[in-house]
Amino acid sequence: MQKWKKLAFGVALATFGLVGAATAQEYTTLPRKETLIVENPEGTIKNPGWFNIWVNGGGGVSTGLQQLTMDTLWYIDPEQGLGGSAWDNSLAADKPQYNDDFTQMTVKLRKGLYWSDGVEFTADDVVYTVKTQIDHPGMNWSAAFSVQVASVEATDPYTVVFKLKKPNSRFHAIFTVRWNGAWIMPKHVFEKVADPVRYDFANPVSLGAYKLKTFDPQGKWYTWEKRDDWQRTSLARLGEPGPKYVTYVDPGPPDKRTIAQLEHNLDIIHDNTPEGMFTLKDKSKTVESWFPGFPFAHPDPTLPAVIFNTQDPLFSNADVRWALALLIDIKAVDMASYRGTATLSALGVPPTAIAMKDYQAPLQDWLKDFEVDTGKRKIKPYDPTIGQQVADMLRKQPKYKDQIPTDPAAISTAFGYGWWKPDPQAATELLEKAGFKKVGGKWMTPDGQPFKIRLTVEGDTRSVFTRAGTLIAQQWAAFGIDSKAAPSSAVWQGLATGDFQCAIAWSVETWGGDPDLSFFLESWHSDFVAKKGENQSARNWQRWSNPELDKIIESIRRVSADDPKGIELGKDYLKLVAREMPTIPLMSYNVFTSMDTTYWKGYPTIADPYTDPVPNWANSRLMMVKLKPAQP
Amino acid sequence: MASYPIFVLKRFGQFLLVVFLGISATFFITHMTPIDPVEQSIGAIQQMGQSDPRAVDLMRQSLRELYGMEGSLWQQYVHFWTRLATGDLGPSLSAFPTPVSTIILRSLPWTIGLMTVATLFTFILGNTIGALAGYYRKSMVLKAVSLVFIAMQPIPYYILAFVLIILFGYLWPILPINGGYEMNTNLQLSFSLVLDILRHSILPALSLILVGTGGWLIGMRALVSNIITEDYVTFAELGGVPKNRILRSYIARNAMVPQFTGLAMSLGAVFNGTIITEIVFGYPGIGNLLISAVHAGDYSLVLGLSALSITGVAAAVFIIDILGPLIDPRIRVE
Repeated sequence: MQKWKKLAFGVALATFGLVGAATAQEYTTLPRKETLIVENPEGTIKNPGWFNIWVNGGGGVSTGLQQLTMDTLWYIDPEQGLGGSAWDNSLAADKPQYNDDFTQMTVKLRKGLYWSDGVEFTADDVVYTVKTQIDHPGMNWSAAFSVQVASVEATDPYTVVFKLKKPNSRFHAIFTVRWNGAWIMPKHVFEKVADPVRYDFANPVSLGAYKLKTFDPQGKWYTWEKRDDWQRTSLARLGEPGPKYVTYVDPGPPDKRTIAQLEHNLDIIHDNTPEGMFTLKDKSKTVESWFPGFPFAHPDPTLPAVIFNTQDPLFSNADVRWALALLIDIKAVDMASYRGTATLSALGVPPTAIAMKDYQAPLQDWLKDFEVDTGKRKIKPYDPTIGQQVADMLRKQPKYKDQIPTDPAAISTAFGYGWWKPDPQAATELLEKAGFKKVGGKWMTPDGQPFKIRLTVEGDTRSVFTRAGTLIAQQWAAFGIDSKAAPSSAVWQGLATGDFQCAIAWSVETWGGDPDLSFFLESWHSDFVAKKGENQSARNWQRWSNPELDKIIESIRRVSADDPKGIELGKDYLKLVAREMPTIPLMSYNVFTSMDTTYWKGYPTIADPYTDPVPNWANSRLMMVKLKPAQP
Repeated sequence: MASYPIFVLKRFGQFLLVVFLGISATFFITHMTPIDPVEQSIGAIQQMGQSDPRAVDLMRQSLRELYGMEGSLWQQYVHFWTRLATGDLGPSLSAFPTPVSTIILRSLPWTIGLMTVATLFTFILGNTIGALAGYYRKSMVLKAVSLVFIAMQPIPYYILAFVLIILFGYLWPILPINGGYEMNTNLQLSFSLVLDILRHSILPALSLILVGTGGWLIGMRALVSNIITEDYVTFAELGGVPKNRILRSYIARNAMVPQFTGLAMSLGAVFNGTIITEIVFGYPGIGNLLISAVHAGDYSLVLGLSALSITGVAAAVFIIDILGPLIDPRIRVE
């Protein structure tokens, strides 16, 4: 027995010795006061050494690669931007110049910008980017360039002229960053490569203010270092980047992210669960969020909704879709999903700051007067006080009562304006109008079958919206519809193939900082609606077409992106989809980004909304300029 | 033993058949899943930003050609075996054009390291305590230790993993809870790097050891409890053979034969990775890789990982089969 005891004691001693070698946990070997540590939501990168962002080769995109080293002609910030407006001429010296019929776009480029290896950026890089991708199917922007560009040429080192196959007043959007854009390739590097599709672009040259310092061969972290010649990049116009090093890391699931930030080892959490955010706010004195108090999260320019497959006969009738909308108690959905922190939207546009000003606020009177004909009577379904009601409800929670705004404008900004009132009686009348019948407490379709709905949700991948979908399905079930939430790991593929009845997802994404709705609306034209059984291209997952909508889209095509007529046409679209309800808009995609001020200060917040704080957006490069060390 | 070579050949034939059938089944199952890697890729590209609906069909066609996904399922199957025969697992579809073998080899050492150490440690610890507890049945210390491990056995190991993270990563933050080594560390081989890697492996290994030891312990204790009633043990005790020697040479040695079979199976299954452990601790192994491959519909990578796992387990069984007659005199080949 003595030998066994000695052995056991030896093993224990060795283990504790190894543990004892650890003092306080160091998270990085770089000087912490000079290093910004950011969560990359892509997780661990499968193909870590792949930096060719122009090919979907399993390398990371938001590892810092697109935020810190890539650049393109223009950016539109989801918030206010730094240069006085959301629109930013980045590599371009000015806005795009179109001819009268939008078949030609001329771009003037900035001078004095250099790649990190000392080669000057010129029009040849832009031309090479387009031609190379057209010549190499399989590259990310190859198809988009192929269908649009007739020719591209550099008329001088700083001027590029695109001739288009068809008129397109929004061609510049391909080179305009929302989340990303068509990044410019370094001609002098790629022209020496045999096959650009199979080239990993190791040791990437950078056009941004940072260059690669080191990365984890296992794909967990990437570190970028400020270029010595950062003044020769487009970001320099806005100021000197603060952090010397920026590390993007996979910090693990929400609980570990929360722990890491509480220990000041993770400066920016990209997204968290509502509960994770509450914990951080409770336990940390140094964590900032977009809103200082409830609802904390940043409303992204993305609109989660109940998306109907309108090619399914059950959902081809607007009366049925409206009936289902009137069965939803949005306040309960808000509490179940976002725990009360949602920014609600009855309209088909995400409630970002610019959309609130240009669309949501101006349409409030129209919404109040808006009527739905149930077949027996006309109802006014809109309740403009839902946002206020959510705020009042939250104020009853002792923990957060002091954080809930009381100013109506602040309430609308945080929680949205209003939404549809639950109205089971009107829903009954609408379903009966559509030929449905209630038999023995269960709803039957016009052909006598049980009315069965499977609402597809993403499961654990997006638990907040899974909770929303589950509750909505339960609310429909309580009304007598055989309804269930159906978790799926392939929601987006199902949306593309049409293999779904209805789903919690989004088919509306906007620029955020710009009122032009063409970013998503162009893809809703009936020309792009797939036949039943065929694959649908993004973003019209509902496969809905309408002659009135086509006219709106065609009118938008004929005006430039900054023409005020575009906003009026946008309002026409919003009124149309409110009447037709091809999707039931729910709320903005609120992102629980939290920012630790222990080492850095100057993060974007509602008080200083210079950019979206969500750090996988390429626009988040603006943060680098504003961030300053919090410690001497 | 004259027929031993024939026995080995037969077993080798069985081994090849199992590998062939297993990999073939995996091929057809993965190709029948509703997840299409081309659509996943298109989805990823479209979700990134501006997507022109007119370009999607062209994109789809280009990617199908690029990924070599044209032709019937049968043609793809024949092509797959033709490639595999030369040791080529093909390109990953979610990390095109990087070869599957490159991606697997990057993660494999981590899983093999973690799982092998954890498996061997668990095996030694469980069998040692099991043998002692089975023989010294009145020892209160051994009873208490056994009880602890047996009580831990039914706990799902991801729950235990979370408990360890809270304990050693938050309440008493002395151990790393994420990754295989410190961020931004210099990865040139050095004593400090080895120490760092070992420290990062403590919690994932501990979660496996604490949960896994009980199984070996219970098995060994039951075997020992049976063997101590055998006549030859009684004779040894009556003959005054020291207790330690009886335990080592008479009891444990005989009890270990079936345990070694289990060990070989466990080592064969090392290639499976421990998916949840790797995810919880962010450990860079093939378990994490498999999950991401499944989500991406990357059946090239799934097939590569499955082929490795099937071959590993089948090889372990084959080795046990052919070594069995050599290490266990009770087995006779007829």
